[in-house]
Amino acid sequence: MANIRLTELVKEFGSTVAVKGISLDIENGEFLIIVGPSGCGKTTTLNMISGLETPTAGEIMIGDRVVNDVEPGDRGLGMVFQDLALFPHMSVFENIAFGLRVQKMEDQEVQERVRAAAEALYILPLLYKRPNQCSGGESQRVALARTIVNNPDVFLMDEPLSSLDAKLRVDMRTELKRLHDRLKATFVYVTHDQAEAMTMADRIVVMNGGKVEQVGSPLDIYDTPMTQFVAGFFGMPTMNFLEGVLTSSNGDPIFKSGSLEISLPEESTQNIKDNKVVLGIRSEHVSVSDGALRGQARIIEPLGDASLVYFEFGEEEELVAKVSPELRISPGDQLMFSLQASHCHLFDQSDGHRLN
Amino acid sequence: MVLSPDTASPIQSKRQAMRKSRRRTIVRHTILILWGLLIMFPIYWMVQTSFKDSGEWVTWPPNWVPHSPTLQNYGQIFTFDITKEGVARQATEQPFNIWGALGDSVLICTLSALIALFMGTFLAYAISRFNVGGSKFRHSVLIIRMIPPIVIAIPLLMYYAIMVPLAAETVLGTRISLFDTRVGMSLLYITITLPFVIWMMLTFIEEVPYSLEHAARIMGAGRMYTLRRVVLPLVASGMVVTFLFVFILNWAEFLLALTLTHPDVTTLPVLLNKFQSASEGRLYGPQAAIGTIITIPVIVLGMIIQKHLIKGFSFGTIRK
Repeated sequence: MANIRLTELVKEFGSTVAVKGISLDIENGEFLIIVGPSGCGKTTTLNMISGLETPTAGEIMIGDRVVNDVEPGDRGLGMVFQDLALFPHMSVFENIAFGLRVQKMEDQEVQERVRAAAEALYILPLLYKRPNQCSGGESQRVALARTIVNNPDVFLMDEPLSSLDAKLRVDMRTELKRLHDRLKATFVYVTHDQAEAMTMADRIVVMNGGKVEQVGSPLDIYDTPMTQFVAGFFGMPTMNFLEGVLTSSNGDPIFKSGSLEISLPEESTQNIKDNKVVLGIRSEHVSVSDGALRGQARIIEPLGDASLVYFEFGEEEELVAKVSPELRISPGDQLMFSLQASHCHLFDQSDGHRLN
Repeated sequence: MVLSPDTASPIQSKRQAMRKSRRRTIVRHTILILWGLLIMFPIYWMVQTSFKDSGEWVTWPPNWVPHSPTLQNYGQIFTFDITKEGVARQATEQPFNIWGALGDSVLICTLSALIALFMGTFLAYAISRFNVGGSKFRHSVLIIRMIPPIVIAIPLLMYYAIMVPLAAETVLGTRISLFDTRVGMSLLYITITLPFVIWMMLTFIEEVPYSLEHAARIMGAGRMYTLRRVVLPLVASGMVVTFLFVFILNWAEFLLALTLTHPDVTTLPVLLNKFQSASEGRLYGPQAAIGTIITIPVIVLGMIIQKHLIKGFSFGTIRK
């Protein structure tokens, strides 16, 4: 079992800086998910932990030793790759046994361990097939079996579910979480899918442009995004953003954007100096059944358990609201809406940092 | 009711289009068949000449098929005993059997193709994975193939016959010549085919995803182990194709072999040229027989390569 500590980790490729000084403590047995858009440096960070990339500066510790100069194979890691990286010319058995064969393990023990790993992932009948004879989900399990058979302390996963179809991906999420509970090993998982991160992680690291934007539990990140980027990255549909100014009327803080005026709770605006702000509000905190503001419905997207109502107000400004499916609204309908002031997030217009 | 032109025209135009495409097919096939005949005719002439008696070789008007087919030409080139009556009749100072040249050709071509394959595969791996020589090296490596052999033939002769023996004598005290030796020819063939091997193996190696090697490394495999267990098995069919391709190149090489050998080492294309007698000039029959024998492995290997090429190029489907 091992914890991982990254200190001021930097990676440069020529003149491009992919990772700009990341410091992170990953607890023993934690399921940590690094999430961010493509090119944000998440895979590079994972590759530096695995040893496939050498950091330009900074330090990586696994357990209590610095591993910067330790070969990938000697770091006690297992890794599942985005394309799974199964050896196409070997049977499933030989794929799983690869790491054990490298260690020159006795044939008897190889047999036992491969079978045990295959059994744990329900792929015993596949052992003598070739990877190209396995379905997407089966290949996924083979890749996992190949990793768990070596009993690594740390599992690194680089978007392992991206090649699966939507339904299978959701099933595999649950299975991965179960696997984590059973193995109690440290999982570091990289994805660009915020839903994957929300559902599986103990803690989420949000990266953008080679830097860490926020670290926290899934609900922390959803409820209290520390930057506008994080707020926009998490949640479906994307959070509503309105640019405007903070003013006050009779001492009460008011957010003004075009024709829209919202009075905000006093304590939320206490420390705000600059008055140019971006107000963010999630679709579930926009009500269209009652309110004092007038809008017109444009597009309705029924999701089954809820409906998304995209509506316009003022000078072609648009908001989206998540409403009960029983509320029958058609495109073109006039509606009265309101925003729940207690759920408004305020961000700095210049650097996107959270203000309230 | 009168059928309006609007409803009739689609059927008509479809028929017209079909007729047009059939006509086009006929024209295309006629051209291709004529072209094929033009290409195949010399080969046919060679094969049928190899079965002709000496009297028929240069008759005019030519005999399109041998009037009295004979195996005499093959008997002559495959004989073990060159003093035999019928053979000796046409003999000049040259031994007229194929065995020595066949042995030389097989040995030189196989050995040099194998060594070039071995070196080229590892070089291609280094170029592909470590960017050895910079990003343009993979293209510039082919430049060596653009030099016409005639340009290097004479300078090489200088090196092989004079410079190397001289240098060896000065440094080692013994005279070592590369001229007219199997080692000399093999070294030369390795050098001139290496660019091809690198070029071809690069294509095959680049098809192997990096992630396979990364996966092996994470599981503790060293570079050589990964190469042996992961990369080489995946490019094996590519190696077979490359080997055969290079073998064919060497097998048919004439100019350099002619310049750099005589009289000890003789490859088949060179032997072919030596078939003439003082009394009858060019011995077309035995030449045609040797030509036929030389061509057979080329055709067979070509067919094998074709199959392997398809197999080799299907590697793009590794990723599901």
